[in-house]
Amino acid sequence: MSRILRNFIILLLLVMPTTVLFFEQALSPNEILSEDSNSGPFPSSKHTIKTEEEQATIKPSPDADTFILFTKPNNPLELPAGKPVRILIGFTNKGNLDFFVDTLEASLRYPQDYSYFLQNFTSVTYNTVIQPHRQATFEYGFVPSEAFSARPFGLTISLSYKDSEGTVFQSSVFNETIQVVEPDEGLDGETFFLYIFLVAIVILLLVGAHQIVTSFGRKHLTKPRQTVELGTQNSDVDYDWLPKETLQGLNKSPRRSPKQSPRQRRNLRSKGAGEE
Amino acid sequence: MKFWVAASLILASVYILPSYEEEESGARLLVSKNILNQYLVEGKDLTVEYKIFNVGSRVAFDVVLNDNTFPESSFSVVSGNLKVTWERIAPNSNVTHAVILRPLKPGYYNFTAAEISYVVSEDSNERTIGYTSYPGEGGIVPQKDFDRRFSPHVLDWLVFAFMTLPSLGIPFLLWYSSKSKYDQPKPKKN
Repeated sequence: MSRILRNFIILLLLVMPTTVLFFEQALSPNEILSEDSNSGPFPSSKHTIKTEEEQATIKPSPDADTFILFTKPNNPLELPAGKPVRILIGFTNKGNLDFFVDTLEASLRYPQDYSYFLQNFTSVTYNTVIQPHRQATFEYGFVPSEAFSARPFGLTISLSYKDSEGTVFQSSVFNETIQVVEPDEGLDGETFFLYIFLVAIVILLLVGAHQIVTSFGRKHLTKPRQTVELGTQNSDVDYDWLPKETLQGLNKSPRRSPKQSPRQRRNLRSKGAGEE
Repeated sequence: MKFWVAASLILASVYILPSYEEEESGARLLVSKNILNQYLVEGKDLTVEYKIFNVGSRVAFDVVLNDNTFPESSFSVVSGNLKVTWERIAPNSNVTHAVILRPLKPGYYNFTAAEISYVVSEDSNERTIGYTSYPGEGGIVPQKDFDRRFSPHVLDWLVFAFMTLPSLGIPFLLWYSSKSKYDQPKPKKN
């Protein structure tokens, strides 16, 4: 009797871990990961526990197989801030029931506490039926906020779907801590024009300095040289306005103009008066 | 004896099962379908791009991409094929295929998924059937609306110029005739 009991206990010891292993296998590795990260450091607040329970109730279906591929930045662990990220999600129906893919949602979360959302991305409704042994690809895109550069984030992408019996499933397609990095642009417009502006200021300063120096030097040079008044040159004078007789008189005797002596002038005046 | 058999069976199942999960190896294709145009215009070219990524560990054989979602009544093919075949797509590589179409009717059109089928590995005969991603519903703009917004409007400007001609030309002619009447050409001096 005791021997049978001992055998039973040994058998029980063998069976126990297998059942535990089987149970764990039912969960996908991703889900286990998310459970770990969820329950790990912050099990305290009631809210966290509640969300954990909610998440625990929706499990991925063992008949569904998902795959994620980052197409835009190839490395999912370093996403550029403010740049679009494109992903492809493959879904394979390995079971015998139709799957109805509902929505896909993505969010950036605080890496130490996954219940704390930092950025929620638009959830996409696909509403696609996938027959047994068929595959489908879904595309999704999001832009991490520009303010989130050079910090680690928990990126969670989860796909929710249901089978034709109405059971709702959710698989977290991606659940990892990623780094949002600053996009490395060779030359953006802002800095380019900043440099141009700086160069322009430097050139302006140089021109101003040159102006000051030259004007200062010229003052010193020009002061001692005194200008001598030479009077009006004959060649500069325009005689057009003068009457013709005057001009002829001028040409004949430039030195003796008619109004040189008062007597002559008087004679001329009396002459003119007599004429008129 | 019975007990040992049972124990060994259980042990075997425990150790074999996890490897069964990872054993799944073969080609796996992810296909995206995108429309590259920003404006879909009736009667103008529209580019559809297909990208096939083989993310599996083996070569995908006899890949057939077939897109039946463009009915001949609403789209005409300008260049490219809507049914394409690749003999093989190597693992960790991707293929891009583009088709240029011309929408014939304006209005909303739901761009849905194309179909892809391939053989996972050389020794298997079973074809895997998959669907591409789909761009969703898009509005095809009537050509008139598009022209109204984006054409250079050369004819419109010519008509405008012709119509403004009287209001500018008549005052100019009046001014010019009076100017030429009163303005004698000055004799040159010097």
